[in-house]
Amino acid sequence: MTRMRKGLNDRLLAWKVSGGVKQTVADMLERGGRNAMVVIGSIVIMLVVLIALLAPVLPMADPTEMSDDLFEPPSTSHIFGTDENGRDVFSRVVWGARVSLLVASFAVLASMVIGIVLGLTAGYFGGRVDYVITGTIDLFWTFPPFLLALAFAAGLGAGLFNVVLAISISYWAGFARLIRGQALSMKERQFVEASRALGAKNWRIMFTHVLPNCLAPLIVWASIGVADAITIESSLSFLGVGTKPPTPSWGWMLQSGLLHLGSAPWISTFPGVAMVFTILGFNLLGDGLRDVLDPRMKGLRR
Amino acid sequence: MADLVAYILRKVILAIPVVLLATLIVFLMLFMTGDPINVLSPPHASVEQLDALREKYGLNEPVYVQYGLFLWQLLHGDLGVSVGFFTRDLEVGDLIADRLPRTLELMAIGLTISYSIGIPLGIFSALRHNSLGDRSVMVFTLLAYAMPSFWLGILFMWLFAVELSWLPIEGTTGGFASIILPAMTLGIGNAALTTRMMRSSMLEVIRQDYITQLRSRGLPEREIIYKHAVKNAILPVITVIGLDIGWFVAGSVVVETVFSWPGIGRLITDSISNADFPVVRGCILVLALFVIAGNLVADILYAYVDPRVRLG
Repeated sequence: MTRMRKGLNDRLLAWKVSGGVKQTVADMLERGGRNAMVVIGSIVIMLVVLIALLAPVLPMADPTEMSDDLFEPPSTSHIFGTDENGRDVFSRVVWGARVSLLVASFAVLASMVIGIVLGLTAGYFGGRVDYVITGTIDLFWTFPPFLLALAFAAGLGAGLFNVVLAISISYWAGFARLIRGQALSMKERQFVEASRALGAKNWRIMFTHVLPNCLAPLIVWASIGVADAITIESSLSFLGVGTKPPTPSWGWMLQSGLLHLGSAPWISTFPGVAMVFTILGFNLLGDGLRDVLDPRMKGLRR
Repeated sequence: MADLVAYILRKVILAIPVVLLATLIVFLMLFMTGDPINVLSPPHASVEQLDALREKYGLNEPVYVQYGLFLWQLLHGDLGVSVGFFTRDLEVGDLIADRLPRTLELMAIGLTISYSIGIPLGIFSALRHNSLGDRSVMVFTLLAYAMPSFWLGILFMWLFAVELSWLPIEGTTGGFASIILPAMTLGIGNAALTTRMMRSSMLEVIRQDYITQLRSRGLPEREIIYKHAVKNAILPVITVIGLDIGWFVAGSVVVETVFSWPGIGRLITDSISNADFPVVRGCILVLALFVIAGNLVADILYAYVDPRVRLG
């Protein structure tokens, strides 16, 4: 009897998971492929990620190597020119992409983990647990993530790990809200009840039934989250509390170029354009997917 | 009306834990740096001096006692004293009070710019739904939203101050001309949000039955749009004005730094580079209070406009 029940539960799980995740992804690809925003966003992201990944093998100067060619305007030897220390701006922009993407993905990943754990627990169990967690979520949700991140970053000091930490602590509330809402509606669904009747444990239901069904909105949020995290990271670096020089960071490059805006505008311009291009890509993908998946949310973003 | 008062009271009480969280975060900020005494003491202080300072700042007490003390001082309007090189022992409260009007000024003009761009653009876009004009406006909002404010500020500075020399580069010496670029930088990012909200709100309204009914009665289109549709569509946009404070607070730190605008934001970045943490935490706390107040205003306006909210 127990064996049979277990077998049935496994089959139910297998069906649900494969159907759920695979179907969601296939659905996203199919419908997203017809949406201009999704397509353009994906192309931009792939381009940026590809260049960032290829940075070590691309034929270009070392991003931290200084030379005597200070403030050289863009030319064939330095296509984006050189900065105040004679470093190749193109190479710094490319390596800056690595830093930005790295910080943003880890920050979003960490926020997502915090958000999933807290959101699932609150939404699935309800009651007093929900009350406490939702209270905490709302507290963090009240403040603009940038202000929170600035407070944490200022306290922790500059550095790659500290920036990731500061952004994740400030950004998780959005994910938690999202997951909680989904979990609330999912736990009433029949397949969850069926699984419970078959004796599945709570955590198993949460992670194998409820979570996969949150996948679509999670992807939307993650994409917008990466764009926000890049904005926060570069703003923090611009203010001097983000990544530490000589790590090439777009925000810091813009800050140092600010002094030479009149004489050497290329020092600020190229990292700025690369940054907007990347943020735009992730925003387009996120907004486009959301329009495709949930047309009611169109045009609203708060 | 009584239910509205009760609603406001409830919201004010609910804001208290949020204020406490803000104070807790800025309180803990000093401990994130390692031993707070390193931040609070002048360089090369002797061991005796350090001990005296520990005693003075109450650092020998348990952390919760220190937090209690911090709150107690806050309740008396005491934000502590600066430890910066040039401002040592000056009251943080006074330093902030000096800068606050500048930030408020910037936010007020930024908000005005944001709404005077966002609302007309949103209406225009909704009335020409899916046309070339609508699409261009949407592209503008996407770009403006993707633009971190410091980068937009640098672009404005480069174009209007360096290349065209129309406006002063930074500081406040140019009188009103000085505020235009920073306020525009702050305003345009938010205008993107306002445009989108106004557009979707307007799109929703013009599909309502009463608009069709007005058309069938033969009212001039102009009158239908401006007298009836806009009036209703603008309400949800105006009620979130309080939420915009969050955007402006976050943006002001960056924009004031770009344009050397002597407000609270600039004070934060200057104090961070001077390791003047009492000032940093004072400023962040004040900005956080602004955000909380803004949220409260949004809640209240929303309930005032839509009675269902306060009864629910």
